[in-house]
Amino acid sequence: MDEKPEQDRIPDTPLFDRKRSLDGYRINKMAMGLSKPENREAFRQDESAYLDRFGLTPEEKEAVMTRNWREMVRLGGNLFFILKISAVDPVRITEIGAHQAGMEHDDFLRNRLGKKV
Amino acid sequence: MAKLIGGLGTSHVPSIGAAIDKGLRDTPDWKPFFDGYIPGQDWVKEHKPDVAVVIFNDHGNSFFLDKVPTFAVGCAEEYRPVDEGWGPRAIPPFRGAVDFSWHFIDTLIENRFDPMICQEIEVDHGIQVPMELFWGRPAEWPVRVVPIFVNVIQYPIPLPSRCYEMGRVLRRAIENYPTDERFVVLGTGGLSHQLQGARAGFVNPEADRAFLNDIATDPDKLARMSREQYVEMFGSEGAELMMWLVMRGAMDRDVVVRHKHYFVPASMTGAGMIVMENEKTPSPAVAA
Repeated sequence: MDEKPEQDRIPDTPLFDRKRSLDGYRINKMAMGLSKPENREAFRQDESAYLDRFGLTPEEKEAVMTRNWREMVRLGGNLFFILKISAVDPVRITEIGAHQAGMEHDDFLRNRLGKKV
Repeated sequence: MAKLIGGLGTSHVPSIGAAIDKGLRDTPDWKPFFDGYIPGQDWVKEHKPDVAVVIFNDHGNSFFLDKVPTFAVGCAEEYRPVDEGWGPRAIPPFRGAVDFSWHFIDTLIENRFDPMICQEIEVDHGIQVPMELFWGRPAEWPVRVVPIFVNVIQYPIPLPSRCYEMGRVLRRAIENYPTDERFVVLGTGGLSHQLQGARAGFVNPEADRAFLNDIATDPDKLARMSREQYVEMFGSEGAELMMWLVMRGAMDRDVVVRHKHYFVPASMTGAGMIVMENEKTPSPAVAA
């Protein structure tokens, strides 16, 4: 089998396929945990220790702890799960979008979403 | 026998629920969006459905990746709002239409659809927001629900044509159901949006408007489209739109559009609403 990841046919559009689901299982499971109040508290108290509970690799930990959304998605994180991080450490979904698009927030609102800002 | 009185379509963006919770309904960002739903709410008030079959997807709240049903049908007495990370929302639990749910599951299996059967399950914004958009915020929901969960997140997701076919089976189940209850079917999700990747923030108002026309006049075309075409045209999360085909498949070929509304952007999404009745059997309003 070819080891290289298959190119997404639609540019800049990562579909949550088998590979991403397998790669991202730890990150997504960690984020899913945040739907429990006691886990949100644990994340707040000691984020690093909380991430270790789910066996995140150093690369995955780094992506989560630096709130590097683009990198989390590259590592197989799915927005619906990793969005729960924003329930503990608030950030707007449009900011997460802008980060992935590599744009300033206002530019993103204007140029992608057609908002007048 | 039970009767299908209408097919409704709507987006189910979580920010809509958050906007209601935070009292933002009448702010400049949201008022034009919410005002567009008033005719839909009036239609529901006038037509008084007894049961709402709601097709939606879970967003990593009721199901994790450990178990991913392609289709799942709720047959619970009650569906409570799930904690999506911010605590469960303060809305009343939905009452189930248990007997019809089992009847529907029987009908599905007999017609070669094999869903997961859920007797206890909490529900996320995928069903909450559509219910609030059409029924408002009652102390208790005046309608019972049948949730149909469709996996549109973990590939392989089902084919659009399969959703359409499931709608036909749903219609059969409603018309073979020996009560005089009035049913509406809600197709939810979309319209165009993309949350992941460098194309995040993609919206396609032109395609959205065309979809709101085609869902009424040319659903066969929408059912023939591939999953990739949905993603390309409506964005990676916009592929949710194929769930409207379950609703549309439950209706006759010829429908009358009673109300339609489009607004962009609701958060990061092109948001649409439609109310349709079958042309041959339009549904008169019910006296209060």
